[in-house]
Amino acid sequence: MPRHPDGPSKPASGLILPRRRFLQLAAAGAAATALPGSAAWAQGARPPKGTRKGQVVVGISQEPTVFNPLRARIEVDEGVHMNLFSPLWSIDAKGNLVPQLATEIPTVENGGVSADGLQWRIKLRPGVTWHDGAPFSAEDVKYTLDLINDTSFPAMLRSGHNLVRDIKIVSPTEITWRMETFFAPYFSVLAWTYIVPKHILGAGGDPKDSPFNNKPVGTGPFKWVERRPGDHIVLEANDKFYGEGPFIEKLIFKYIPDLTVLKTQFQTGAIDHIGLQGITADNYDEAKKYAGRKVTAAPLPFIEAIVLNNERPYFKELAVRQALYYGMDKATIIKDIFYDVPRPTETYLPQESWGYNPNLPKHSYDVARAKKLLDDAGWKPGAGGVREKNGMKLDFTTSTTAGNHLREQTQQFLQQGWQQIGVKVTIKNFPPAVMWGDFWRKGQFDTAMAGSVYSVGSDPDPSERLSSASISAKTGTGQNTSQYSNAEVDALLKASQNEVDRAKRKANYFKVQEMVRADLPLLPIYQWSMIEGVKSGLVGYEPNVNYRSNCWNINTWYWAS
Amino acid sequence: MTADTAIAAHGGQTLRRSTRYRTLRRFTRHRLAMFGLVVILLLVLACAVGPSLVPFDQFQLNMRARFREPFAGAHLLGTDELGRDMLARLLMAGRISLTIGFCAMVIAVTVGTVVGTVAGFYGGAIGTVLMRFVDAVLCFPTIFLLLTLAALVSPGIVTITLIIALTAWMEVARVVQGQIRALRERDFAVAAEAMGAPDRWIMFKELLPNAVAPIVVAATLIIARAILLESYVSYLGYGIQPPVASWGNMLEKAQQYLTTAPWLALLPGLMITLAVSSFNFLGDGLRDALDPRSELS
Amino acid sequence: MSGFLLRRLAQSIVLLWIVSMIGFALLHLTPGGPLSQFTNTPGMTDEDLQRLTAQMGLDRPLPVQYLEWFGRLLTGDWGRSYRDDTPVLLVIGSRLGATLQLMVTATLIAVLVGGFIGVVGAVRRYSFFDQLVTVGAMIALSIPTFWFGLMVIYVFSVKLGWLPPGNISPVGNESLIVFLHHLIGPSMVLGLVTTAIWSRFMRSSMLDVINQDYVRTARAKGVSERIVLVRHVLRNALLPMITIAGLEVPTLLSGALVTETVFTWPGMGRLFLDSIGYRDYPVVMGLLTFTAILVIIGNLLADVLYVVADPRIRLQ
Repeated sequence: MPRHPDGPSKPASGLILPRRRFLQLAAAGAAATALPGSAAWAQGARPPKGTRKGQVVVGISQEPTVFNPLRARIEVDEGVHMNLFSPLWSIDAKGNLVPQLATEIPTVENGGVSADGLQWRIKLRPGVTWHDGAPFSAEDVKYTLDLINDTSFPAMLRSGHNLVRDIKIVSPTEITWRMETFFAPYFSVLAWTYIVPKHILGAGGDPKDSPFNNKPVGTGPFKWVERRPGDHIVLEANDKFYGEGPFIEKLIFKYIPDLTVLKTQFQTGAIDHIGLQGITADNYDEAKKYAGRKVTAAPLPFIEAIVLNNERPYFKELAVRQALYYGMDKATIIKDIFYDVPRPTETYLPQESWGYNPNLPKHSYDVARAKKLLDDAGWKPGAGGVREKNGMKLDFTTSTTAGNHLREQTQQFLQQGWQQIGVKVTIKNFPPAVMWGDFWRKGQFDTAMAGSVYSVGSDPDPSERLSSASISAKTGTGQNTSQYSNAEVDALLKASQNEVDRAKRKANYFKVQEMVRADLPLLPIYQWSMIEGVKSGLVGYEPNVNYRSNCWNINTWYWAS
Repeated sequence: MTADTAIAAHGGQTLRRSTRYRTLRRFTRHRLAMFGLVVILLLVLACAVGPSLVPFDQFQLNMRARFREPFAGAHLLGTDELGRDMLARLLMAGRISLTIGFCAMVIAVTVGTVVGTVAGFYGGAIGTVLMRFVDAVLCFPTIFLLLTLAALVSPGIVTITLIIALTAWMEVARVVQGQIRALRERDFAVAAEAMGAPDRWIMFKELLPNAVAPIVVAATLIIARAILLESYVSYLGYGIQPPVASWGNMLEKAQQYLTTAPWLALLPGLMITLAVSSFNFLGDGLRDALDPRSELS
Repeated sequence: MSGFLLRRLAQSIVLLWIVSMIGFALLHLTPGGPLSQFTNTPGMTDEDLQRLTAQMGLDRPLPVQYLEWFGRLLTGDWGRSYRDDTPVLLVIGSRLGATLQLMVTATLIAVLVGGFIGVVGAVRRYSFFDQLVTVGAMIALSIPTFWFGLMVIYVFSVKLGWLPPGNISPVGNESLIVFLHHLIGPSMVLGLVTTAIWSRFMRSSMLDVINQDYVRTARAKGVSERIVLVRHVLRNALLPMITIAGLEVPTLLSGALVTETVFTWPGMGRLFLDSIGYRDYPVVMGLLTFTAILVIIGNLLADVLYVVADPRIRLQ
């Protein structure tokens, strides 16, 4: 079954949060002390360079189909990209930038970035070759940035890149450019920008239709071998890889569309690592008992919430929104339906973000209070116990991806809970192609259960989802699908975007979170965790909240002998 | 998808009394058909009356009583993933599934009969166009057609009934067309036409009643098939919305608890099999009873 | 004969044309589109979406889109998949093998097991065996295929651990034995339906022949029962079965789709399901057309073989 357990943001939000240390650097406009190479390799004795043993089969529930890393893609595609290609630098699990094709992270100190943050100078690693043997050079970096900005090329995202001007190749190992305006998240944007080969894609013909798209050539730790559509993709070790590893011969991405079968195959040992979409929460306890397997709940930046359509007349009343939140038995949802795997939240930011405000009022489940709020606001029970006021009924629909069983259970649980406070909810779910299209974007839903990333890039800035300028139904752009509109929030968001002092921005974002918590344009439930696992003998797996796929460091994985 | 597509060509006059009696006797002697009939009646009765006898409401969630096993405790058939009583849900689901089966059958038979009658009566261009259309629709494997149609509508009881009917009417059309074409050459039809009776009258008053037998058989089998198709639509992700239960969507929700709570999948599956095979037995018996040829053997 | 063939061929092409029109119309009326997965990309504007829509040619009137699609189809260009940007024929081709493996195995099981059951049932008519398999076949046709598949997985994979719970084979170990091991579950499930159908047809076909005059004559002449059965009855009873084999193609395809879904078998059925969820119009259209061609070829073969095999049938 095609399951789309992760809501709207699945194919979408290209950028997820980087981490604290990095943000300090980036927000200041110049990086200070990134520790290249000092990163996450924690576990014990790794095999000596050049030794390789065995293969790793990664089981995933969606099929990777896009192999040009600049095109529109979903998480599982990225899992393949990060093993075939290299960015200028990557982000490790602790949030440090780690040089890849660049030899160092540009900072003011090393002259990589000017004090105003506008002039960039990148030194590139010499002696790197593409999988086909051709040398990698600054030409490839320039070509990649140009291609992203080429309007005839269907690039996934241009934000950040579209500010780059005057790219100059100083030498094969040095490149400079100018930024139109200061854009702090560009460090992290580049950490997800994989460099593509100019000598193949730029050799004539439309890069959209290049054979490269189905036979990619990169500089990463693994080389393309073959793809069996609908079943698997095989990569093999790149013995000329410039960096660490790889310590395995082959890397195989196995597509298993059914989460139950995926889990069973992990249990029986047919797959070595269970990645996206992982094991469902209701199977966590069972999975923890598998012999010879390590199972982990890895935090993700998605926030699951009941998103209200704030343009619906009944949701314009604060009392109604508050009553719905009081009438929501969040603790039971998280404990019984999601088995305490995800962490409850009161805000739209993940706990790992530096902008996260931990001091927000705690939700309580209080039916009496919910009823009183509605009574006081003049909503009186009418026919069938459904409250009404001035001929308007508290009777609306709730929607999500059809067939997402845990969400559907939550919906039914909420339906019963809200019925007790005199609110009638009808479940109206759709297949993903309908649900997350205009229905979601143009505000045609009443309420929707969705998991979204509210911060864009490295920044806790939620303008894309909470500013009134981002209401797609009105302005044609943006992801403010709840159509939340608060002038004070707008002003704070605007001020924070151009603020260089992180302390001030943090204070602003804390305030924004307080206001959003008070306004309740969406009813936050929890921050996502995904249950992944590896065989015990496989060393090196480490969750990294900065990436959408935990296949980020497979080049360092190895089999303990 | 029954094996015997060859449904007996029925002749001329409406069944005479003695024939009727013999048909009835043949039918009542058909053990499987009687079994099917009895089971269907019991199912209908249970689904109609049963829910009011069960001390639980089908929608009543109880998070403290999830995944209770059958035959142990207050819940006779256990509880589901939200602690709802399985028996109550199975019976209410039966109402939905049987209703869908019956309504889809009525629609399919009506559409198929009209198309088949018109095509068979007029023949020529109209007949050819209509029957080519039927042929074309039959070129889609049922499940492929069903899925394409399901993607078209938002899932609900009415829409699912409609799309199931739309995948099932073609065979009726074919059978009826064949019958009508054979019948219209008969004396009584020719006579009626000579007397200047209007086409509609000849088609639906003179010819159609003589084609009732194969239609009845087809109708019974379509109910069986509609119940099956409802479960397929649900399984493939385009089923009826929660919290309303149908046998199909109960099964769909249960598949991921196959290892931990197998009864959740077992019970609705058994109900579907029981209902569908009963209708199939009944249809089979009806065919034998209504087919005069079967007396030869 | 050639005139007959040509006429049937011409009819088939007309049929295909109608089929493609129905499919195209249905598909493009569906709400949601291939772009909805991009609509949530941060920074995506309505203009971007319109540009992409225009690039995909989805903004033009439906009849124009259809004519263009059909025109290209006639030249052998089935379009490109939106999802993995590969020619549709290649996409289908890469899945065809897996589906054929299933269909052929299931048909073999049906012919052997179902044929045997049918013959015995007809010879020992109304015996206990006959009644048992008649009831069994009816029940087999009444079980939801996917449910049976789930039960097979539960019993043979989860409980007993005899069979793999799905997939075509583990990667890197694609030996024949391993492949056959993986094939058992799904072909058992698909084979159940085909066997049931086949046994019933076989039985009624045998019965038709048994009552024929020439069989009685042969018996009356004192030919041994075994020879009568094999030479006269079985041989003639197999004739109509050729037709059945051709006509059962759509049933097989439907069954394969469901079976592939349960066993995560990378065939055309799964492809169809994934593509329709994604609104990958070119692939869905390609699959609908392709399966229709298979069905039509099945019908055509049934007709032709029947005529070839039985000279008594007069060509119109």
